[in-house]
Amino acid sequence: MGDSNRYPELRRRISPGWWRANRHYAMYMVREWTSLFVALYSLVFIYGVSLWAMGSRASFLNFLRNPAIVGFSIVALVFTMYHAVTWFYLLGAISPIKIGRSKTRPWQALVLNLILLVIVSYLAIWLLVLR
Amino acid sequence: MGQDIATIRVTRYRPEKDSKPYFQEYKVPYRQDMVILDALNYIKAEIDGSLTYRWSCRMGVCGSCGANIDGEPKLTCASFLHDFKGRTITVEPMTNFPVIKDLVVDMEDFMEKLVKIKPWIIREKETPPEQGEYKQSAQELERYSQFSSCINCMLCYAACPIYGLNEKFLGPAATALAYRYIEDSRDQGKDVRFPIVHEMEGVWECTLVGECSVVCPKGVDPMLAIQKAKILGATNALKSLLMPRGGR
Repeated sequence: MGDSNRYPELRRRISPGWWRANRHYAMYMVREWTSLFVALYSLVFIYGVSLWAMGSRASFLNFLRNPAIVGFSIVALVFTMYHAVTWFYLLGAISPIKIGRSKTRPWQALVLNLILLVIVSYLAIWLLVLR
Repeated sequence: MGQDIATIRVTRYRPEKDSKPYFQEYKVPYRQDMVILDALNYIKAEIDGSLTYRWSCRMGVCGSCGANIDGEPKLTCASFLHDFKGRTITVEPMTNFPVIKDLVVDMEDFMEKLVKIKPWIIREKETPPEQGEYKQSAQELERYSQFSSCINCMLCYAACPIYGLNEKFLGPAATALAYRYIEDSRDQGKDVRFPIVHEMEGVWECTLVGECSVVCPKGVDPMLAIQKAKILGATNALKSLLMPRGGR
């Protein structure tokens, strides 16, 4: 160890287009970029809720009905679902639950969490909009 | 049985002669049971004795013969020539490592990381051999056994763009091995390994590309080990925050 100049070595740099080398890298890059939309959606939603807090529920709902916001929300929803699927699956892989002698499988955690997501989302929509 | 001819494009780089690497093409006759390593051996024996590459066991155990085959990190001894029939096969040195010569990369960085995580069982106090072995149940073995299959072939490092961007990153195999010992019921070295795994360039550098687990020839899932280590670290940090005394 130590003597790193024993021979000249060829040092290579990772190219900016590395993520185009295969599908997994590309999927990773898509996840990284779509997280921007998720962050942006959070800001839009906080702004919407602040309209309600400072004004009225009607101004909040009007803001949500804006076609641009509807369009953006749909795009953000699709991207968020990609993140949800990734992380719910990972959750099942990292922390399987022991039931008797067997362990839960990652896809079971994914399905269960997606069902919970639908229920929680419906409750939130009911609380904020439908009620 | 007739013989097919494989066309193989191999990276050549001789530091004493070449300022940059180039490809050299070889034609290799092959049988159904021949792998890329056999083709490299054929080239060295019959065509060009100067071709340099690492290999040893020829059966996916020693982890010496890794290379990028058509851009993917693979063991050359586990890649059959007939799977590439009709195509030119490109064999390059593993990505993310400095090249010493042709397909031989510098492993020094990985070797240092391997030693750093102390890949052996640490005991607070060794018991003398007469007192018998440290016993372990099948369930305890199962907690870490998949991570102990690592053969240190470094394919996971070649597949990891995070390591490519920052070579200080502890990386997949070293973390998987560290986790293997953290989860071993006989080991008492968690306090020694935890700071190494959780330092700035440890597990938190990983952003879940996941390709390390895809390329592993031994079915180890380093990506999972890294995420499990993150959870352990976060849980421990939370515990010591909530229960400063005895929260471990």
